[in-house]
Amino acid sequence: MRSEEETNQAIERYGDTVRRLCMIHLKNEADTQDIFQTVFLKYLLHDKPFESREHEKAWFIRVTLNACKDLLRSFFRRCTVPLEELTGQADQLTDQAREVLRSVLELPRKEREVVYLHYYEGYTAPEISQLLGKNVNTIYTNLARARAHLKQLLGGEDHG
Amino acid sequence: MDEQIRDAFGRLHAGAELKEYTRASLDRARRGRRRPVAYLAAAAACLVLLLVGLGGYRFYMTPTTVLSIDINPSLELGINRFDKVVTVQAWNEDGQALADSLELKFLDYQDALERLVASQSIADRLAAGELLSITVAGEDEIQCGRLLAGAEACTAGQENVQCHHGDEEELEEAHHAGLSLGKYRAFLELQALDPTVTAEDVAGLTMRQIMDWIAALESGAATAGESPTGNRAGNAAGQGNSQGGHGHHHGWSEHE
Repeated sequence: MRSEEETNQAIERYGDTVRRLCMIHLKNEADTQDIFQTVFLKYLLHDKPFESREHEKAWFIRVTLNACKDLLRSFFRRCTVPLEELTGQADQLTDQAREVLRSVLELPRKEREVVYLHYYEGYTAPEISQLLGKNVNTIYTNLARARAHLKQLLGGEDHG
Repeated sequence: MDEQIRDAFGRLHAGAELKEYTRASLDRARRGRRRPVAYLAAAAACLVLLLVGLGGYRFYMTPTTVLSIDINPSLELGINRFDKVVTVQAWNEDGQALADSLELKFLDYQDALERLVASQSIADRLAAGELLSITVAGEDEIQCGRLLAGAEACTAGQENVQCHHGDEEELEEAHHAGLSLGKYRAFLELQALDPTVTAEDVAGLTMRQIMDWIAALESGAATAGESPTGNRAGNAAGQGNSQGGHGHHHGWSEHE
């Protein structure tokens, strides 16, 4: 079992990442809270050491995505709520940011994941394929489709 | 577009409330998982305390030395290593009556002796010229020596008091014979002079009677081979002491 200091550091270090992954998968704040807790609880009980900070971060991403998928498969899914409530941080979002996030959420789930991991976290397609356990070509395809969808949604040239 | 996506996601953070809520739930999980260990530790600590308590009680309550008090009431005080009385055992009815009338347990042995000597039962007998024998026996020679000296100091004003040093083996033999140590030692002395005397013969006698009997045998006043009864002893003692230095004559029948 990890110490309080370790879990507190992890919450500070990976809290935002977990929170953003939750946002792109889940439909409401209550589910986000559940998954957030679940992920850090798993970390609390995960005794094996990580090879590096990158390894640790990849673990958090994988565990969060899996937890989100488990929840989405569950029968007791909660209802969809507006973006403002979903992020819980409506006042910190500019109109443009709100628009971008809304567009990302309109993408199919597979594309949402790769958009976040590639554009925000900076992972390359081969890295994402390793992280998600998928074929690298599938990742390239998902990325290309996501880019096309977003251009469409965000009004093409202005946002490109 | 890349920049806009980065900016939009960059504005999302895990709120302080969410973090705090998660920290609290991790704390609960941590405590929940530790509880069995905590319970186990508490139970182990209780057990240790109990064992230490029982051990301490046993340590305190175990007599290391025995003070055998014989006049006719015969009783033995078990003295622990802190010189406190922890057991009181009567070896005859008079002894039991005396033990019941006095609260001797947990007293310092000297206080207990003073109480005994001052008790009506013993004071009257001493005044009547009876002999009080105090015998100290135990494994710890140092404590035995200390207790013997203490007993002597305690009864220094009494001329009819004798203090002796006994030993563990004798104590065991005495108990086997159904006698208190002081009386058993007197019996052995008597038996050396008259091998026909049995423990039963002396059980009901006072220390004075036994001593008088011994004195009589030593002075040759008693005729060897006569029946070893209290009556015979009484006659012998009577003869030996009617004009004795104590200036008294008493029939043991009145004490029985």
